Amino acid sequence: MKDENQLLNVSNLQTHFFTENGTVPSVDGVSFQVNKGELVAIVGESGSGKSVTSLSIMGLVEDPGKIVGGDIMFEDKNLATYTNKQMRKIRGNDIAMIFQEPLTSLNPVFTIGNQLREAILQHQNVDKATAKKMSIDMLTQVGIPRADKVYNSFPHSLSGGMRQRVMIAMSLSCNPKLLIADEPTTALDVTIQAQILELMKDLVKKMDTAIILITHDLGVVAELVDRVIVMYAGQVVEQSDVFTLFKDPKHPYTKGLLDSTPKIQDLNEELISIKGTVPTPANMPEGCRFHPRCPHAMDHCISHEPQLETMENGREVRCWLFDEEVMEHERQKSGNEGTPQK
Amino acid sequence: MKRFLIQRLLQLIPVLIIMTFIVFSLVYVAGDPVALMLPEEASPEDVARVQESLGLNEPFYVQYGIFLTNAVQGDFGQSYRYNQDAMSIVLERVPATMELAIASMIFATIIAIPMGIWSATRRNTFIDLFITGSSVLGKAMPNFWLGIMFILILAVNTQIFPVSGRGTFMHVVLPAITLGTAVAAEMTRLTRSNMIEILQQDYVRTAKAKGVSNGIVTYKHSFRNALIPVVTIMALQTSTLVGGAIVTEQVFAWPGIGQLLVQAVNARDMAIVQAAVFLIALLVIFINFIADVLYRLLDPRIKY
Amino acid sequence: MSQQVTPEPIPEPPVEPTPESKRRLKKSSPITRWAKLLLKSKTGTVGLFIVLVVFIVGIFADQLAPFGVNEQNYANMLAPPSWAEGGTSEHFLGTDNLGRDILSRIIYGTTISLLVGIFSVVVAGVLGMAAGLFSGYYGGWLDTITMRLVDAFLSIPNILFILVILSVLNPGILTLIFAIGVTNWVIYARLIRGEVLSVKEREYVKAAKSIGTKNMTIIRRHILPNVFSTFIVISTLSVATTIILEASLSFLGMGVQPPDVSWGYMLADGRDYLATNWWLATFPGLAITITVLGIIFLGDWLRDVLDPRSQGR
Repeated sequence: MKDENQLLNVSNLQTHFFTENGTVPSVDGVSFQVNKGELVAIVGESGSGKSVTSLSIMGLVEDPGKIVGGDIMFEDKNLATYTNKQMRKIRGNDIAMIFQEPLTSLNPVFTIGNQLREAILQHQNVDKATAKKMSIDMLTQVGIPRADKVYNSFPHSLSGGMRQRVMIAMSLSCNPKLLIADEPTTALDVTIQAQILELMKDLVKKMDTAIILITHDLGVVAELVDRVIVMYAGQVVEQSDVFTLFKDPKHPYTKGLLDSTPKIQDLNEELISIKGTVPTPANMPEGCRFHPRCPHAMDHCISHEPQLETMENGREVRCWLFDEEVMEHERQKSGNEGTPQK
Repeated sequence: MKRFLIQRLLQLIPVLIIMTFIVFSLVYVAGDPVALMLPEEASPEDVARVQESLGLNEPFYVQYGIFLTNAVQGDFGQSYRYNQDAMSIVLERVPATMELAIASMIFATIIAIPMGIWSATRRNTFIDLFITGSSVLGKAMPNFWLGIMFILILAVNTQIFPVSGRGTFMHVVLPAITLGTAVAAEMTRLTRSNMIEILQQDYVRTAKAKGVSNGIVTYKHSFRNALIPVVTIMALQTSTLVGGAIVTEQVFAWPGIGQLLVQAVNARDMAIVQAAVFLIALLVIFINFIADVLYRLLDPRIKY
Repeated sequence: MSQQVTPEPIPEPPVEPTPESKRRLKKSSPITRWAKLLLKSKTGTVGLFIVLVVFIVGIFADQLAPFGVNEQNYANMLAPPSWAEGGTSEHFLGTDNLGRDILSRIIYGTTISLLVGIFSVVVAGVLGMAAGLFSGYYGGWLDTITMRLVDAFLSIPNILFILVILSVLNPGILTLIFAIGVTNWVIYARLIRGEVLSVKEREYVKAAKSIGTKNMTIIRRHILPNVFSTFIVISTLSVATTIILEASLSFLGMGVQPPDVSWGYMLADGRDYLATNWWLATFPGLAITITVLGIIFLGDWLRDVLDPRSQGR
């Protein structure tokens, strides 16, 4: 499994929240890899555990949450065992993060420059004047006009799109190896979304930074990334490169997600939404976690939990439909009636 | 900024008018001060002459008008007990009260703000429970009792501090703690709840994601934002502080306005009562005004 | 790793336990629901217990007090508490300089504290509620005048106003109730007005208006019930501050006058004997602290229950 090219290897990550009303396993055995300079998306509905996964990598899971199992290998370091103090050297330096809400993610009482140079001063051995120069340079790179003026202004004087550019400048200022972007364009206007995505793509390619994009928007995924990880109820259910996934989704949940995304070419077609909602850990179904919402659910799915199985081209899927033995059994039982299509 | 200042100052006028009106009408209702001023055997003619000279025969609104014109010039008449200009007697007492108020505010601030931050960052731990518990207790204890207990334990029994009076630094310690406790309790509670709210903000997470130290996260990114409402609270607490000072001064025989006012009320020395109330109210209004200005300076989002 | 850099917000909390459990509670009868909510909060339970005890003591003072309020025991002047060195068995908390039983005086003082605390809150509450309701509902010049008045009152410490009133009127329990009542109404007026302003904009109030319901009927049927929980919470907490205020004024010699007894008055007496007889000043203060603590606990619990937004603050 050890690969020269590999940057991040999350294996069997478990992050639980210990609330008054019991333990909530938000992330329940998640494994995936990210290579150097690779653009990966983690897709899922809210409550699927995708944000908690990213916060776990950053070491920003807050009480009462805790990583209770698994490893987060970043290069040769296991971040899951790092203390907060050790993590501080990683955060903002090797791994940076962009958040969803540009409007509230910048501190209102400090200037843009103050907040930008903070990361640089923290991680790089430079003086204030150099940090300022680097900050302004970074602002120019993310396409902010009159960067030296913006440097001295307060966040409230900038538009949402501008603020997200500032956030990108801030996160890339120390040349991180990995950038985690949690719904970076959700709060923005559609026209600005495309610009921001384009900007991110350009910059990470130039800097050879890998991206983990957290999103529920498959449109964004198609534009930006190489590979997609689909999460459902705290688990990875499918993992594939982006073209194969869009062309031939395997897991019924992925299909559902794709069907519920509007496509330009068939505007007349009805949008199909996935019935039901993500189960809460308190009423997590037995067997396959998706079976109550799955159009292809079989008897076997109700009682048996599927594992993540590797298929051709290194893609992975967690579904009994692709287990030959189970399918054979099902076919015999039901006499070929209602065979689910792959 | 200039426009804001002018607007804010204009708003003070109705408040001042209403305040003086209330004070005046209460004293008006109190009735004839002449009886107190003259010896008992004074003839009715003497009484009438004094009433005339004081303008007490004029109708209510004329008297209020006279009162207001004089008040603006700081003239509240003569104190019959001191036979002196009332305002100058009150002004003599100002430094003592200011000393006490400032000392207790300093005490409250240096206790309350770190405690509030500490309990907010350690939410639901023993420390948090202890701090919130103490702040409720600080609110429940009447300050005069607290003062008396301090005197009992630290002045009478162990003789570390003087029992009463004003003079050295040691004199001000117990009164300042006594007066500052209630303020500190309220400030702790509010600092804590503000900090808890701010620690959940997205920008705090952004700061953490940059890898800066906990200290910078807490004191730079969070506290600066929590400070803004705390300034308002401090201003609102001046009212509590002044109210408490009246009682605290009594406990420690502190020669401030509060002590003077209590004596004046007991002796029905209305000129002093009016002068003292007017001056204190003016002070509180002024401090609130300063806080309002400061609030705007601290928060760059507010534009003028 | 793990770092709880700070507590709180669970990103993407998959379960929301509180609303769930509240929904469950709503199904049972109101009394069981309140009892359950009360027992969930330790401080709320303690608060209710203290308040109940204080009320019982206050109401049955005559039956509970071992001695009369001004009954003097010349043989036992300045006797220490029965459990302290040199104490006499009949005076549990000792006697004062006139040989009066301190425990009995504290018990009688409870009645006075509650009387002043509750009735001045009633006076302030009724005045403030009326001012807040009408100025909030009608707006216009009535609102402007009321709010200017409120500003003026708030800019001056209320003890100053009360002192001025007390310097004019003859001191006593009724004067105290009146003085505290007419100065504290502003707190209610401001908060109730704010509530009214938001309730006024709700659909059902607009609907009632549109079908021509009389203003007074709207205020009574729609506005009043909605601001009532705020009113209850302020009132409860006001009783606590008023009890301290009464004690302070009595301590200054301007509140309750002998032969009536007040905790504050006892403290003022006890202060002169601090060097030699500590129990005189200690116990009345303890009584105030415990009573006020109980009311604050109860009031905070009420606020948490009636206004879920403030939870944990």
